[in-house]
Amino acid sequence: MIEILARYGRIYGAFFKTSLVSDLEFRANMTIRLIVDFLWYSGQVLMFETLFRHTDHLGTWNLAQVRVFMGLLFVADGLYMLFFSINMDSFSENIRLGQIDFLLVKPINSQFMVSFKKADTSKLGNLLMAVAWMIWSLSKLGDWNANRLFWLIILIPSGLVSLYAFRFFFVTLAIFFTNSANVQYIWYQFYHLGMKPDSIYRPWIRVALFVIAPVSLMANVPARALMDPFNPGLYLASVLVAAFFLYLSHRFWNFALKFHSSASS
Amino acid sequence: MLKGRSLLRRNFAFFKLAIVSQLEYRLNFFVDAVMQPLLGTGVEVLLWLGIFQTSGPTFGGFSMQDYLAYVIWSPFISRITSTWLYEYKMIAEIDNGSINGLLVRPMSFFEYYLSQFLGYKFFTTSVSLVIPVGFILYFRLPTDFSRLPIVLVSIFYFLILVQMMSFTIATFAFYLNKVYSLTAAKNFLLWFLTGELLPLDIVPEPYRSWIIGLPFCNAVYLPVGYLTGRLSKEIFLRGFITTTYGILFFAVAGIILWKQGLKKYVGTGA
Amino acid sequence: MIAIETKGASRVYKSYTKQQGFRGSVRGFFRRSYVEKTALHPTDLQIHSGQIVGLVGANGAGKTTLLKLLSGLISPTHGKVLALGFNPFDRKKEYLQQMSLLLGQKNQLWWDISSRDSFALLAEIYSLDRSLTEKKIAEITQALDCESVLDTQLRRLSLGERMKMEIVGSLLHSPKLLLLDEPTIGLDIVAQTQIRNFLLNYVKDMKPTIILTSHYMDDIAQLADQLLLMSKGRIVYNGSVSKFTNATKKQKLVGFSFPEPLKGPQKILNVNLAQGQQIFEVEISELELPQFLSRLTLLPGIANLTISAANFEDEIRDFMQNESAKV
Repeated sequence: MIEILARYGRIYGAFFKTSLVSDLEFRANMTIRLIVDFLWYSGQVLMFETLFRHTDHLGTWNLAQVRVFMGLLFVADGLYMLFFSINMDSFSENIRLGQIDFLLVKPINSQFMVSFKKADTSKLGNLLMAVAWMIWSLSKLGDWNANRLFWLIILIPSGLVSLYAFRFFFVTLAIFFTNSANVQYIWYQFYHLGMKPDSIYRPWIRVALFVIAPVSLMANVPARALMDPFNPGLYLASVLVAAFFLYLSHRFWNFALKFHSSASS
Repeated sequence: MLKGRSLLRRNFAFFKLAIVSQLEYRLNFFVDAVMQPLLGTGVEVLLWLGIFQTSGPTFGGFSMQDYLAYVIWSPFISRITSTWLYEYKMIAEIDNGSINGLLVRPMSFFEYYLSQFLGYKFFTTSVSLVIPVGFILYFRLPTDFSRLPIVLVSIFYFLILVQMMSFTIATFAFYLNKVYSLTAAKNFLLWFLTGELLPLDIVPEPYRSWIIGLPFCNAVYLPVGYLTGRLSKEIFLRGFITTTYGILFFAVAGIILWKQGLKKYVGTGA
Repeated sequence: MIAIETKGASRVYKSYTKQQGFRGSVRGFFRRSYVEKTALHPTDLQIHSGQIVGLVGANGAGKTTLLKLLSGLISPTHGKVLALGFNPFDRKKEYLQQMSLLLGQKNQLWWDISSRDSFALLAEIYSLDRSLTEKKIAEITQALDCESVLDTQLRRLSLGERMKMEIVGSLLHSPKLLLLDEPTIGLDIVAQTQIRNFLLNYVKDMKPTIILTSHYMDDIAQLADQLLLMSKGRIVYNGSVSKFTNATKKQKLVGFSFPEPLKGPQKILNVNLAQGQQIFEVEISELELPQFLSRLTLLPGIANLTISAANFEDEIRDFMQNESAKV
């Protein structure tokens, strides 16, 4: 088991390094991408800052708290973009061009290969921005318990895992529908729902965004762990949800591969 | 005269090509023309319902009805006036050298993509128009439907500007590799400037006036504002003028960059 | 009449060199070094109209660069190019209307729609008469034996069918100048032969000027009137195919067999006949042939003797090797 993990760790290291080397190749692209993401973050910030000019709280949070929420959102988003997004985005095009068979003949777990082939190393810059924003927002928060940061060690990864698993479900759909570029957009809509403080939604939506389309795990749950009353049940549930969705994504992927091999000639 | 006719016929063929290619992937088309606008609108509605739940009956001087009408029209219209697909296609043509196959034909790259783009937008828009109309009628929200035709005209006029910008961005691919992120940069910038992110009414002055002076608010804010009765006819019609300025600006920039770029273009192997 | 003329036309590419490894990449991110590569040295060339020119050379010899210059995709760094009286790089409608470029390794038809729809689109692009075009499509697809898949989307066709469709597409507007870059690459023998035979007939009827590059020497040997051999950005041979064969050291292919496998190794002149082998095919230069044959026929039980010209492909290879040895 440990050997396998070590092997995959080494493989991932190699993937990461090659990605970094090839990203450095296109320096203009890399710089623009950083600027783009800066714009995107500013968009989110500006939106909430503008809303708060007309109200003093959104859901249960005030401006200082929403800023912290955004910091967590940026961190989660940065990690997601760094590790997963680029692979997910390119998959449906690869399917359309008939390149999936090349992936499947490699002696590595195919889901791993598809999910991790490339890292978008320009997003390291995002992470830096995100962490900076988070530290700043925490410093403005006033009274909060720094020990709570400990929970982030479990909650950020579990949010990331459930985000990945949920997205991977949409990506897998590409195997059934050759051209699924637009299907991916549905995912973005869910993602967008996850980018808002979930206390503004009605309760049933809040539940749905936790157990059906698990997008609130990426920022909402960690933000609650930092700022809302202590709630170990929620943290445990998050980990379970993440594990469950990861398992589901794996099953669905294998099912899709079976479908692929029986459908193609 | 004959030349004009063959130009029209050829471009109509490109227009149709876009529609035929759309219909080739049925699920994709359904998602693009129906699911996306439906979900996009749904998400916006949910968000603003949530905001009103916590803020009281008015927000920035407008009622919930006003906002709902705004957020039902704005994702619909911003989806028409934003572009990823065809811009990526244009960049990809230059990036991977398949543009060679187009350059050797007696037509221009610009017209080829403009007509396809308009065909695609025309087709998806006519299908997905039922969604905002349905929402508005169902919730009885403020919308002046007699203004819809002129609004659609202004939107399709604006699409020429959109395509000009795409063309200009695509020409950067002659100079740099992998410029796809420029598309994202432009679209995110437009996201502020069009009024899609936030109704421009609640943006503080003087930023609001600056943004309205630019042509980009023709993409969302002006048409939606006019349609829902927030804006007067004068302000809306002024939009045609700013759009024209925008078209002229990007036409000049695009043509210069294109000509220079082609000269520089080395053409990838094979 | 002269269809194509170049005067001192050359092309230099500039590219960024990546330093090796990860550190090199980081360094390259901040500071770049560029190298210039001459893809085509100054070239003078004249091609008469109605000629079929075979363009041959190793990868990177400059074939594609020459084709791109002629199709106006790139401009010459120095010198002049004239095709059908036009400067190709101006990309005048009148010129594009008369020429066609086919790239064997790229799709030019539309991927997601049927070939018939693609052709209809091309007819609009070239302002062609619709019914005449339909007739032409029917004729050509029949000749190429691919009319049954006309209504299938391009992405569902086999490589050979796709190539045939690309050829149909490139001929719809009856170009006077046809630039074919590897039109048979990757195809099976049947498809290759079909395409070759089709082009032979087409040329007889339409008399276009054709420049053809190919990895398959059969294409060139059977189709071309004139051969251009390129190496390292220069034209190293320009003349008829038959003259080229005379210019190279002539090789003959001699085949023969013995009633049973050879018991021990034999040597005739400098040709080794291995022990245990029964059927042989050896290459021998024309000069040595009489001597070789006289010795060979002395061997007991020799049978099935055949003598033929060695293949064109080998001759080019030899020619190129001699050339590169000279440089």
